[in-house]
Amino acid sequence: MKRFISRYSLSFPKNLVYMFQVSEYRLGDFFAWYWRVLDFSKVAKRKSLVKTSKAMLILIGAWALLLAMHLMVLVLVFSRDSFNLPFLVIGLLLVPLFFPYLFSLLVLVINIFQLPLEYRIIAKAKKKLSKHKAYRIAIAGSYGKTTMREIIRTVVSEGKKVAAAPANYNTPLGISKFILGLKGDEEVLIFEMGEYYPGDIAKLCHLTNPDAGVITGVNEAHLVKFKSLERTTKTIFELADWLKDKALYVNVEDKNVLNFLDKQINQKYLAYNRNGLADLKVSNASTSLKGTSFDLLPPGDLSGDTVSLESNLLGLHQIGPLLVSIDIALKLGLSVAEIKKGIAKTKPFEHRMQPTIDSSGVVTIDDSYNGNPTGVKAAIDFLASIKGHQRFYVTPGLVEMGTRSAEIHQEIGRLLSEAGIEKVILIRNSVTPDIYAGLQKAGYTGDVIWFDDALKAYAALPQITVQGDLVILQNDWPDQYI
Amino acid sequence: MKNIAVIFGGRSAEHEVSIITAHLPIIQALKALGGYTIWPVYISKKGDWYCQSEFEEMEHFQQPDFEKQLTKFKKINLGLNNGLQIIWSGVLQKSIKIDIVFPAMHGTNGEDGSLMGLLQMANVPFVGCDMAASAIAMDKAMTKEVLSNQGFLVAPYVWFLQSEWQKDKQKILERIKKLNFPLFVKPVHLGSSIGISKVKNEQELLNAIEVALHYDNKVLVEEGIGDLIEVTLPIMGNENPETAEIERPLNKTEFFDFQDKYLSSGKTQGVNAQYSQIPAEIDVSLSKQVKELGLGAYKAIGCSGIARIDFLINSKLEKIYINEINTLPGSLYHHNWRKAGISAVVLVSKLIAFAEQRFEAQQSLNYLFNSGILKKFKGAKTQ
Repeated sequence: MKRFISRYSLSFPKNLVYMFQVSEYRLGDFFAWYWRVLDFSKVAKRKSLVKTSKAMLILIGAWALLLAMHLMVLVLVFSRDSFNLPFLVIGLLLVPLFFPYLFSLLVLVINIFQLPLEYRIIAKAKKKLSKHKAYRIAIAGSYGKTTMREIIRTVVSEGKKVAAAPANYNTPLGISKFILGLKGDEEVLIFEMGEYYPGDIAKLCHLTNPDAGVITGVNEAHLVKFKSLERTTKTIFELADWLKDKALYVNVEDKNVLNFLDKQINQKYLAYNRNGLADLKVSNASTSLKGTSFDLLPPGDLSGDTVSLESNLLGLHQIGPLLVSIDIALKLGLSVAEIKKGIAKTKPFEHRMQPTIDSSGVVTIDDSYNGNPTGVKAAIDFLASIKGHQRFYVTPGLVEMGTRSAEIHQEIGRLLSEAGIEKVILIRNSVTPDIYAGLQKAGYTGDVIWFDDALKAYAALPQITVQGDLVILQNDWPDQYI
Repeated sequence: MKNIAVIFGGRSAEHEVSIITAHLPIIQALKALGGYTIWPVYISKKGDWYCQSEFEEMEHFQQPDFEKQLTKFKKINLGLNNGLQIIWSGVLQKSIKIDIVFPAMHGTNGEDGSLMGLLQMANVPFVGCDMAASAIAMDKAMTKEVLSNQGFLVAPYVWFLQSEWQKDKQKILERIKKLNFPLFVKPVHLGSSIGISKVKNEQELLNAIEVALHYDNKVLVEEGIGDLIEVTLPIMGNENPETAEIERPLNKTEFFDFQDKYLSSGKTQGVNAQYSQIPAEIDVSLSKQVKELGLGAYKAIGCSGIARIDFLINSKLEKIYINEINTLPGSLYHHNWRKAGISAVVLVSKLIAFAEQRFEAQQSLNYLFNSGILKKFKGAKTQ
């Protein structure tokens, strides 16, 4: 009933446009949300409609369409001999039901008209880049791309002029826009490659022609779209196919990657993990709320002394990506002193294992952009290593885990129990009962606290924590998943 | 779900502070705690009572025109028959029965025992000190009388009424002359340092008394303490009260005025949060004595639920004076409890439990006695 009535809300067209925007105008994603949602009047909780020209055009179109549909009903009613009330009522009832479908047809048409326009931008960008002399690094993987990009950018910037495309510029169109904005004097370019469908990474390689690549790992992120992990892995390894003999760094801490590599006998790559990367060997690694430190014996042709490195990033799983940046920096000719300075500058990127301390002495780690099982495991591993604090783990669970959702969430419950996390705060939704089941199965002895929505939980946190507590905010659901 | 009424605002100089306390932490903690339907009862500066769900959000009171908006709400009536009822009268009358009350009022017409008296009459459990303790603690002179009579050290003082001052100033000044400058002049009923002055000579004294009499009809003059360390200690409980951390306000100016106490405090912590050292870095033996004296004074005044005791310490002589008792600390001093390992949710749920415990104990007392005196009564001329 509420679902129906909320379609009459004046914000209904605007909310539909908003949802198209956050779904990147993909009809499939839009309807997945549309058929699930219960109240159309409260949609944009976290963000709001960004007034791009496309969105505004569609919004105007939406209103025009809605008015036209009402007008049509009225014309039909009055065109008959006498006023027909039942007809009017039925018409008014049907309009909001049919409107979204006609409306998405409109979006489809706009999408089609946009195609040649996009193609022109991409062609222009490719031409510009082909004349650009910069060393190009491509990053692909289901997770950890933004952190990898920021680490490489920070370290290499100590000796080179670096430009990196922002995280949401990871599609051909986005990357093209980034390329068109380049000045031309950049020495290193970093591209994040988004994978949504098979062939995506190959397309991006074709556009950017990278000199080196990094594969950060493969997991269930976007599993709903890829259907199987194997398809995800193959798509991500399109980067390897393209690079052939050029430098490819691969995260071998990831078991999905390892499984895949076992079958690829001829694949050449540089393996990295928290213990080392080729000649770079790690020792004395440690992590705390203040950061991560380790010693490194650099390759023999450089000075033979051990170098002690310190980063502000939290967790031992960050050492692998740090090694990648060191290796790239060495190849580009940076000195050990420059690299050491660069590593010291690496710090948590927004909403990714980012710690803050408030005036009451409560430490909050914002990991709300971390929505993948591998990242969750890394975060729990980190929490497990922190002693002497009461730990709060706040999560709504993960989205887009497809058929593996129950299994993955039960595993999170088991990990939390094993790590001895004192308080687990769960947001009521379709997946958190699986975390709860996992906790129960593992004999969890701490407290589980439930909240109806994440914003309520965030508001309550200052009321339930005391000095010395450690809170981690793990993942946050975008509006289209609620 | 139990119905809990949070009462705040009121005809008091600390009206705004009360709005903060009600929301931060009380309503927010009740929301996080769950299990209660919250009825925010707001008393306007004029003394009108309202209860609206909009009042749950502090932002409502931060709108510049919120007082004008009150006209669109229906005023409430209270029912006091065997419990407290909130009544929205009218053609479609609505009423709800309140199971427990959380007073969040500071200063006059609320914290001074008047609200507690009303709730006592309604026979409803309520959080915090009862009527008698609230009334004693609200009167700074009365507090000193009660404490010094029970052997607690207080700074030497003189108090007088406005009528006495008007009748014979000289006589009162003679009494004050026995005290040593500098002196503090305070209206006895006001909190948050309103109307309080520190004076160094007789001329300043006369002016300060005029100022104090502007706010109150009863004035307290007391000796300043040398080598002063001021500390405060939040306490909660009924029979076996527990202490939070000793807190030392770090006021930069010589005097602890309203500005320091409220206006410059942190945004997220409610009132009284910043510029404090928690726990106070004072000698271990001093801090032990402060806690013992605090618990003693809490009982001497008859406090229950929650209170905060202010101390003046002469750091050279290591003498500890009890200065004031506050029966509803601003924002419940939850920032301090939080450092003592008690979250706002735990604090609020404990206070509710203390209220229910005291209420149960009172219910078991027998207030009735059949004297038969009415039957024996024969008329006006009994003798």
